[in-house]
Amino acid sequence: MAAIFTGAPPNSGPGYSFTQTPAPTSASEPRQHAFYPYTDNGGSTLGISSSNFTILAGDTRSTSGYNINTRYAPKLFHIDSADPSSRLVLSVVGFAADGEALAERLDTVVKMYRYQHGKTISVGAAAQRLSHVLYGKRFFPYYVHAILGGLDEEGKGALYSYDPVGSYEREQCRAAGAAASLIMPFLDNQVNYKNQYVAGSGVGHELQQRDPRPLERKEVEELVRDAFTSAVERHIEVGDGLQMMVITKEGVEEVYRELKKD
Amino acid sequence: MRGATILKATDDKTRELNQHNLMAFSGEAGDTIQFAEYIQANIRLYTMRNTTSLPPPAVSSFVRSELSRALRSRRPYTVNLLLGGYDTITDTPALYWIDYLAALAKVPYAAHGYAQYYCLSILDKHHHPDIGFERGMELLRMCTDELKRRLPVDFKGVTVKVVTREGIREVEYVDDKPVKSA
Amino acid sequence: MDTLVAQYSRPSGQQEGYSQDEQQELLQLTPPLSLKFALPPIAQPSSWLRAMTDDYSNPNCPIKIAHGTTTLAFRFQGGIIVATDSRATAGNWIASQTVKKVIEINNCLLGTMAGGAADCQYWLAYLGMQCRLHELRHKRRISVAAASKILANLVYSYKGMGLSMGTMCAGVTPQEGPALYYIDSDGTRLSGNLFCVGSGQTFAYGVLDAQYSYDLSEEDALDLGRRSILAATHRDAYSGGYINLYHVKESGWVKHGFSDTNPIFWKTKLEKGEFSNVTSELE
Repeated sequence: MAAIFTGAPPNSGPGYSFTQTPAPTSASEPRQHAFYPYTDNGGSTLGISSSNFTILAGDTRSTSGYNINTRYAPKLFHIDSADPSSRLVLSVVGFAADGEALAERLDTVVKMYRYQHGKTISVGAAAQRLSHVLYGKRFFPYYVHAILGGLDEEGKGALYSYDPVGSYEREQCRAAGAAASLIMPFLDNQVNYKNQYVAGSGVGHELQQRDPRPLERKEVEELVRDAFTSAVERHIEVGDGLQMMVITKEGVEEVYRELKKD
Repeated sequence: MRGATILKATDDKTRELNQHNLMAFSGEAGDTIQFAEYIQANIRLYTMRNTTSLPPPAVSSFVRSELSRALRSRRPYTVNLLLGGYDTITDTPALYWIDYLAALAKVPYAAHGYAQYYCLSILDKHHHPDIGFERGMELLRMCTDELKRRLPVDFKGVTVKVVTREGIREVEYVDDKPVKSA
Repeated sequence: MDTLVAQYSRPSGQQEGYSQDEQQELLQLTPPLSLKFALPPIAQPSSWLRAMTDDYSNPNCPIKIAHGTTTLAFRFQGGIIVATDSRATAGNWIASQTVKKVIEINNCLLGTMAGGAADCQYWLAYLGMQCRLHELRHKRRISVAAASKILANLVYSYKGMGLSMGTMCAGVTPQEGPALYYIDSDGTRLSGNLFCVGSGQTFAYGVLDAQYSYDLSEEDALDLGRRSILAATHRDAYSGGYINLYHVKESGWVKHGFSDTNPIFWKTKLEKGEFSNVTSELE
């Protein structure tokens, strides 16, 4: 009979120490893998692209299980910020250390491209390189969900989302991380107008799907804020601060807003 | 089947519950026959006591509740069932799908086990509510052909029984033609 | 023990920053698409990887990799039809409904994607590169047989490492005519007339086998391909989204749309009276 309160962390939760091993489901079960180099630092990110800009956003809370490590740990990274014409922003959520390593890696890759070619890398090329960087660790993955934002050669907003081992796709919007399942359905509805129909277009099967249109910057910023304030209300790993990066042809603008800190 | 040996290739895996209700079963050896014959006996008892047959909805409810009761006992039956019936009062056929957890669904066509994966999509496409007997047999042929083509095991033929207003009858089903894969 | 000692007796600071190899890699002009992959510092990388990423054997695995699919391809007198759904799932979560599971290797070779999305994307891109190199070296297009063999040998060399892919290569070349190959991460490589791959494969086979014939007309073949994917999206929860349809001919492949399943489903049901298990009005 285990003591009701042993001072030990909850069974399925994380440990207090940073040498975190997954708790065995039952005491008799042998621990299968002593090597567990990951932890989930929680948080959420999202990106929305439009006709002439892309917005990436992420909350700034960092957690380990039920502990809050810090209230300001940015998940957004301006890639090659030394280059005034750089329009690349990477957002990473999952294991923060892997995220930072990935951002650093991509930063180097993008810099090397500029040094060797004498021009700024296109988002398409950067997106493919990022995919290869992630796949390079196919057998020892980066525990991250990455979203890459930028502007394409026509000046349109570009957004690429990745799985941990580098499969990627260009999309209009994407939410990742702890509250992805809360935010993504909202984005589907508000950005791509999924399950929205033209009023008065009929009943039942005659209903006409509402066509998506490019959104204005102000609208998108409001959507992002709504998405995060709502996620904060219902997810314990999201909160504290909202970091946004707006990518336009003028440059990358960073905006910070407070979120609830409880 | 015992281990990897077929004990009997022409085992009838159905039981007639009353004149217009037929039950097909699959699952754990022993459980299947015990449960089916228990149900058969009780439905017959009802018919004799009341000199009237239970219609398909009532039979399905009875079977489901018995299976559900057994499920919560010390030793549940591991049996999947298909109930085919003909309601002579409303003059409609009915098919019920019941799994070993006593989930029941009234459906136009059904299958259990691996057959679900191969046959349901065929029936989704080719079944229409108003098809006649001949077309029904054609659909069955499409299904058994597909199983012969794609299943890694030889299931040694099928027993086909038909429930109509006139009652239950067995249909001869010639199934010796080899099926070529594309 | 020696490894333990080696691990802890390293001079401090040696592991900081990038290693020589990594620096070299970063300096390389072209992305290497290298065959050098980082491995975890343990004895059994593959079982470790499985514990981390295989949500089937371990539903609580930390890294969920996108899975689940229906893809099909079949040969007929007018070429090859290739059709897929577009859903990517990670556990129960639908990660995307707009995945392009047909990968255009070049203008007359197509690959399909089932299993690990990243594995398929990466290795089919690699295959595309090898095909182009073959063209440049030999001054003629690679045969589908050779292309599929490159891929099969490649994935076979990683056997047991945890790659997960079931792919089909479809192409038309002057020497082979329409050619279709199935390759999976076990190392299987088969040529054939008709393949369905993925969690919804059985449902697609059901519809396809019932009406398949080599002498199908082009229109009927396209319809059958589309209808088979629709059947799979209807019965397999891991398949859905959009139907991606291609026709490979001697002159190259032609795309026949990326169309939403929902309106196609209702059109099929209401106009042809199929899917009688779905009620369109309340009883």
